[in-house]
Amino acid sequence: MSLRSGFATFAGKSSYWFLHTFLHGGSSLPGKITLKLDPNILRTLGAKYDVIVITGTNGKTLTTALTVSVLHQKYPAILTNPTGSNMEQGIVTTFLNAKNPKTGRPLAVLEVDEANVIKVTQYIEPKAFVFTNIFRDQMDRYGEIYTTYQKILDGVALAPNATIIANGDSPIFHSKELPNPIEYYGFDDQPDQDLKAKPNTDGVLCPVCEHILHYHSLTYSNQGKYFCPNCGFERPELTYRLTKLGEQTPTSSEFEVDGHAFKIGVGGTYNIYNALAAYAVGRFMGVAPAQIARAFTGNQQVFGRQEVIDVDGKQVTIILVKNPVGLDQVLHMIGTDKEKFSLVGLLNANYADGIDTSWIWDGDFEQLTQRDIPAVITGGERYKDITFRLKVAGIPDDKHIVEPDLEKVVDEIKKVPTERVYVLATYTAMLQMRKILATKGYIKEGLGV
Amino acid sequence: MTYELNVAHLYGNLMNTYGDVGNILALNYYAKQMDVHLNVKIVSLEEDFKAADYDLAFFGGGQDFEQTIVSQDIQTKKAELTDFIESGGPLLAICGGFQLLGHYYIGANGEKLPGIGALDHYTLAQDHNRFIGDIVIKNQETGETYHGFENHQGRTFLGAGERPLGNVVSGKGNNGEDGTEGAIYKNVYCSYFHGPILTRNGEIAKHLLVAALQRKFPEDDFSQQAALPIPATF
Repeated sequence: MSLRSGFATFAGKSSYWFLHTFLHGGSSLPGKITLKLDPNILRTLGAKYDVIVITGTNGKTLTTALTVSVLHQKYPAILTNPTGSNMEQGIVTTFLNAKNPKTGRPLAVLEVDEANVIKVTQYIEPKAFVFTNIFRDQMDRYGEIYTTYQKILDGVALAPNATIIANGDSPIFHSKELPNPIEYYGFDDQPDQDLKAKPNTDGVLCPVCEHILHYHSLTYSNQGKYFCPNCGFERPELTYRLTKLGEQTPTSSEFEVDGHAFKIGVGGTYNIYNALAAYAVGRFMGVAPAQIARAFTGNQQVFGRQEVIDVDGKQVTIILVKNPVGLDQVLHMIGTDKEKFSLVGLLNANYADGIDTSWIWDGDFEQLTQRDIPAVITGGERYKDITFRLKVAGIPDDKHIVEPDLEKVVDEIKKVPTERVYVLATYTAMLQMRKILATKGYIKEGLGV
Repeated sequence: MTYELNVAHLYGNLMNTYGDVGNILALNYYAKQMDVHLNVKIVSLEEDFKAADYDLAFFGGGQDFEQTIVSQDIQTKKAELTDFIESGGPLLAICGGFQLLGHYYIGANGEKLPGIGALDHYTLAQDHNRFIGDIVIKNQETGETYHGFENHQGRTFLGAGERPLGNVVSGKGNNGEDGTEGAIYKNVYCSYFHGPILTRNGEIAKHLLVAALQRKFPEDDFSQQAALPIPATF
């Protein structure tokens, strides 16, 4: 370690200690201080580690957590970054906080924001990249899916020997020739048909000949066993195949990968993709299927986002929604509930939510009308937008309560006729709601995300 | 329902950014209240658009790549789309759709890409900047105020035969210079508004639907439909 890096590391660690001890904070500031003192600090900090970078629009956090669980079956020392610390400063802080490894080369499994991949690969050559998916998300930040993928590839270009472990069902990950070794995972549980994606789906043009892609089978959005009837472009051979999809509920999913049975304590097809990614990394790193199965069932905390909160007898689940594809998946997931439930939609449009609320119109709220939902509550700072969205979707006025004030939303939740309540909320609305629930004593302080 | 209208959703599987499909949902919502059933059909790459087959059309915005592809394909529909527009066919075009009805626009890599020139505007680019944010405009003829969210890199300049959809009250509008937003030509309404536009500005949905009804059923009286109250949604 150079004198400069040494000093920068010391300054960063000290600031973390100060912030953590006295202010109960400190996720990105220590990294910021260290980077100011030594902009190349990641080279020094990361040199001791085998690094796995996980990136993509949706599922980074859970895929990272599951991957860590899986790899723990074989590797004792694994460094990982906490949720939300997926930009350069947060990653530096993560390395700063790590205890010095005593023996061997420890692993670092890092969730990295798409545009920050290059900030990592400038200094560290990862062992592997994991690409989860690319969907429209906060477009005012990165632009379009092709721009986002290019940002990832700009980072990958600096690490041509790293293995890419990619979602093979996502056509964009097969659209560019890359020098890296690539392994694909995907769903292979359906007989072949000739299908097209839903009209309002992003990324359905063949990257080779620019005709509309068809599918032998579709999972959701533009993901599936795609092929181009015009030029023959098709899904690549899968290294890791989901061979059977079993029962799905809002809190559990059963499936088989390469013939091995798995169960995870969370619902949603998108979460099965996350598990499939973690499985692929595990296999790549030599973890046996039985160990992976144990990791999936052993660690329930990784699914913490879907904790159930008891509000005077109502079982309330708060689910973060942030883009149309994620929203559709959440709507589909709660639709697998066998119990009757009430629904709450809380919409804000602060920077962290995305300042344009248009995206709620890309979500398929119309599927809610297939269920008998006795009460729907809409609220939040942009309650008018979400209220009209649900009105247009066909939620009848006599079952629809409009309440902008989140304090009063809690009162309304206590009055709904079902025990089960799903709250779909954008990021800042979720934080506000949790704060209110904490003040009222229904949950402990803290974000719990 | 008493009336039926055939709606072409132009390139609906490619031009569909920022919730623009919500315009179709809003059209349906208001159409039902007017006793009108809508048959919506996507007309996309290598599919024919026949002016006579449709009573109303919607053309949304797209990502750069998709819009490039559409700018080539739409040339095959140019004659029929121009017929539809010239014969008073009601059409709503948003963002990229708005641009492609004009003479040309500048693509992401600085190349000049053709529209169909059915309307007399053209679109330039701006360097390293987008107009992003809430926008409010006022239509001077009707006195109606419209709310939306704009997010565009293109700067559009209207031609002689076009009136703006409104004048900018707050926000940037077509080009950030002349205070205009969107365009109206015959029964064509163009705008950069997302939100989507018809979900926040039901009056425009009503204008489109009533124009389509009057054009298809010239003998019938649609004063009741035209009087449909539109409660504020934004």
